[in-house]
Amino acid sequence: MNRIEKKLADLKEKKEKAFITYMTAGLPDMEGTKKIIRAQEEAGTDILELGIPFSDPVADGPVIQQASYESILKGTNIHKIFTMMEEVRKDCEIPIIFMMYYNTILHYGVETFVEKCMETGVDGLIVPDLPKEEQGELAAALEKDGAPILIQLVAPVSKQRVPYILEGARGFVYCVSSMGVTGQDGGFHKNVVNYLKEVKEQSQIPVMMGFGIKEAKDVEAVRDIIDGAIVGSHFIKIMKESNYNLKTITDYIKKFKSELG
Amino acid sequence: MSSKYYGEFGGQYVAESLMNTLDDLDRAFEEAIADPKFWEEFDYYMKEYVGRETPLYFAEKLSKKYGTKIYLKREDLNHTGAHKINNVIGQILLAKRMGKTKVIAETGAGQHGVATATGAALFGMDCKVYMGKEDIERQALNVLRMEMLGAKVVPVETGSRTLKDATNEAIRTWAKEAEDTFYVIGSAVGPYPYPKIVKQFQSIISKEAKKQILEKEGRLPDTVMACVGGGSNSIGMFAEFIEEKDVELIGVEAAGLGIETGKHASAMALGKPGTLHGMKSYLLQDDDGNVLLAHSISAGLDYPGVGPEHSYLRDSGRAKYVSVTDDEAMQALLELCKEEGIIPAIESAHALAYAFKKAETMTEDQILILCLSGRGDKDCHTIAAYLEGKSTEDLNK
Repeated sequence: MNRIEKKLADLKEKKEKAFITYMTAGLPDMEGTKKIIRAQEEAGTDILELGIPFSDPVADGPVIQQASYESILKGTNIHKIFTMMEEVRKDCEIPIIFMMYYNTILHYGVETFVEKCMETGVDGLIVPDLPKEEQGELAAALEKDGAPILIQLVAPVSKQRVPYILEGARGFVYCVSSMGVTGQDGGFHKNVVNYLKEVKEQSQIPVMMGFGIKEAKDVEAVRDIIDGAIVGSHFIKIMKESNYNLKTITDYIKKFKSELG
Repeated sequence: MSSKYYGEFGGQYVAESLMNTLDDLDRAFEEAIADPKFWEEFDYYMKEYVGRETPLYFAEKLSKKYGTKIYLKREDLNHTGAHKINNVIGQILLAKRMGKTKVIAETGAGQHGVATATGAALFGMDCKVYMGKEDIERQALNVLRMEMLGAKVVPVETGSRTLKDATNEAIRTWAKEAEDTFYVIGSAVGPYPYPKIVKQFQSIISKEAKKQILEKEGRLPDTVMACVGGGSNSIGMFAEFIEEKDVELIGVEAAGLGIETGKHASAMALGKPGTLHGMKSYLLQDDDGNVLLAHSISAGLDYPGVGPEHSYLRDSGRAKYVSVTDDEAMQALLELCKEEGIIPAIESAHALAYAFKKAETMTEDQILILCLSGRGDKDCHTIAAYLEGKSTEDLNK
């Protein structure tokens, strides 16, 4: 069974919300990335998004853009990330999702990319510049047994598109909490409650909320609607400001997870 | 679905949050172009404000020198100095029709930014122009022009801090503010329907040119040529001739310091298909699939991708794409100044440089039309530095 689906089934049984984090691969370096992944598993992160750096991250705000840029300058690329995954998977079972832009997959070759994901234990993919209409080629390659799940994103303005997006969706639905890009301070979309309710009602799979979340209290008002929360930019900030201190990272995760419940 | 593509190129590689926006845009655009009133308004502003139609000028001295009939489509005579204004007026009229009150745009050298600021001033719209920090420093005059026209120039300090990143930032802002904001894309790039929209409004170039050449020569040209960065003046110059199979179409990209040096902007020559700025097209990329920086003495050709229809025209064999170095373009620029008394933009000089090579293979009775996409006033400091003997590598910076 896919690690994401297994984890979500466990959480459902325990009546727990999922806590999902995002980190950019290759920061502070590849060894550091491995250590942080393992520390996250121990601290209780349920699912981990690993950002694959790309030169033109149009769906990301300043924090993740900067992280992506720094990582590229350090020489991070998809080949090194696959090698790192292989090593991590020797003793680590946390579900891992690659968050990446479509050009990286196209350039690698869609078929060979999927095979490599299967070999190295990648459980899911989030591709923010690949809307449902453009997913054909990748979706076909992902039909193999044991291939990663393509996580579907919905936005506050998706409205009549939601049933179409959810058709055949697996894992969880990623509800973007605001318009625009990751890590904005502008707060959630004005209709966020109704929007999440509508998606939840139509979805057979868990519904997660991401974009602009810092603390567990940020999602208090919608806690009963959603099945989990995703923290990206803020998590990156915490890591960077603490100089990737494992204790700071672990404390943050434990606190968020316990408050989220 | 298939109509959003040109062969395997084009599409809509954007965030889910923009899909409804693109759908609205597509519907509004199709309604507008089916509405004679929309065209009446467009034609009015093209004539009275932009100053169309532009002449199809027979370059007599050059024709004699190179032994074939060379005609120049004088887009440099448009208001604001280039073809960019054709598309901007069209898109802003569309924005108005859609009830938008704000426009945003990306700009490299600043020509599209100036055109958008001009259109926004004319129609009383709020205007923000995203421009890379590097470009702001190199193009101070255009920054000043945009500000005089009432636009806010937003410096982009991420990534390479040039056009590519300015476009990223404009897309990010658009995703956030699409409700009241229209994104005016300046080249034949971006997610569908933008490549179609830009072609539609720029095709006025070839509609006029076709009529003019039939009047002057009583027949179609043998060759039609234009420079290609993102590809807006070239798709406009090609549009009416694509179905005329006997007319040869040639797009001229920037070879910068030379294709072999790696410092160029020739997506067609060395790129491979990839996705950037919402489209699939030929794209300059490194071994990891990151987008490479383009290099050209001409800021307007300094783009790592190319419009999707050009990729299709290339692969289907309908159009041919070649490239010309910085030096060749600068020589052609100076030659046009001396021979015909016209100072062209460095972008347009790329097409000119190839036209001279091409003309030598043509006969006296054959006809070549070249799109002179813009005037060179904006380039005078670059030209001066070139004449002082600075290397084109320094001028690229």
